Amino acid sequence: MNCQECHEYIDAYIDSELDVAAAIIVKQHLRDCAKCQQLLESRKVVVALLKNPEISFEVPDALFGKIQSVLPAVRSDVKRRRGGRFVFSWFAVPLALAATVAVMLGLAFLNQGGMFDRSRGNALAQDVISSHVRSLLATHLLDVPSTDQHTVKPWFDGKIKFSPPVRDFADQGFRLIGGRLDYINGREVAALVYQRRLHIINLFIWPSESSSTTAAESFAKDGYNVLHWNRDGFEFWAVSDVSAGDLMAFADLEMQQS
Amino acid sequence: MNDEQTRTRFETLLLPLMSDAYNLARWLMKNQEDAEDMVQESYLRAFRFFGSFHEGTNCRAWFLRVVRNTCYTALGSRDVKDKEVPLDSEADEIEDSAPLPPVSFAKKATVEAVREAIAALPVDFREVVVLRELQGLSYKEISDVSGVPLGTVMSRLARARHQLYLILSDRKQREEL
Repeated sequence: MNCQECHEYIDAYIDSELDVAAAIIVKQHLRDCAKCQQLLESRKVVVALLKNPEISFEVPDALFGKIQSVLPAVRSDVKRRRGGRFVFSWFAVPLALAATVAVMLGLAFLNQGGMFDRSRGNALAQDVISSHVRSLLATHLLDVPSTDQHTVKPWFDGKIKFSPPVRDFADQGFRLIGGRLDYINGREVAALVYQRRLHIINLFIWPSESSSTTAAESFAKDGYNVLHWNRDGFEFWAVSDVSAGDLMAFADLEMQQS
Repeated sequence: MNDEQTRTRFETLLLPLMSDAYNLARWLMKNQEDAEDMVQESYLRAFRFFGSFHEGTNCRAWFLRVVRNTCYTALGSRDVKDKEVPLDSEADEIEDSAPLPPVSFAKKATVEAVREAIAALPVDFREVVVLRELQGLSYKEISDVSGVPLGTVMSRLARARHQLYLILSDRKQREEL
């Protein structure tokens, strides 16, 4: 490889876009050529300068609302949830009937191998992902911003009818950053918010119908990972764009008794 | 899929891309107001064409392409000159511009300087820099977004980085940084 060729490939080399064989050839040339080595260093300086996240622009607060306003209106429940109150309305009656029928159908399946649980799980997982996405966008991630579990836990008192377990896992790389009220599947739930590097994890908690402890069940959709488990009379739903492994590690911490 | 499911799916897939979309538009248009208009227009267009988006396609690249094309359409009607890369700059051999003096920059002081340097690039170069350096797209994804071959992505990125280095080291030498 000569210098001209090296110059052509050096950016792809830095960006790990070359196949292994080509990368080795560039590497060998760089080892022997001080001039190209200097070019490599200058490229690295530029790349490092551009890595600074402050160079990107903050999204203006009003933009989310503007986008919502240009999209054709379909979802009434988005506004209802963001408003923070579940409004009982006329269409809830047929919905309730439909839900009853669905439950009855589901129960019929349940006896034949647990399909009910999985389809209910999928629907809830979608709901959980939607809530997660909205929490990141609607500037409504936190009602109580605090890294102190002893501040977050009492905040829920009187706002919901149960007291969710709140723990910080900062030492293990999952920092508690606060909590908020949210709505999943038409009910008020506690949402705890954790940070994993630059990623946000929402942990939704509400009282479970059974007191048994279950193994985590996982769902993946649209780049989000969701884990669901039961423990000590609560249902837990964790959702994030962190890797499935990271989310599993997080669930594992939560499942350990304090 | 009914309307509500489509809308839910659209929101789940595309709303998390708002920051990427805004930043691409912000850098291409060079001002906040136009960028916001472009992002709104892009979401509307994406919603209309959501039917043509197939399961398994790279959603981010697909949407950024919509944003990119929306911006270029607007730029085209506003200022055709700006988006043209001067011929001599495409033909410019990288080797001729070497050697490059080693320079170190203080990270904190340079955010504005780096922004200005990016803004000074021709739009085609600015686009690859933003997609690669600020948004971390692969060459293949950049090729999909901008509709140019992989080789062109690579050479534009090389020239863009080279120009950025020259602009920034020049300012450094004039003791501005």
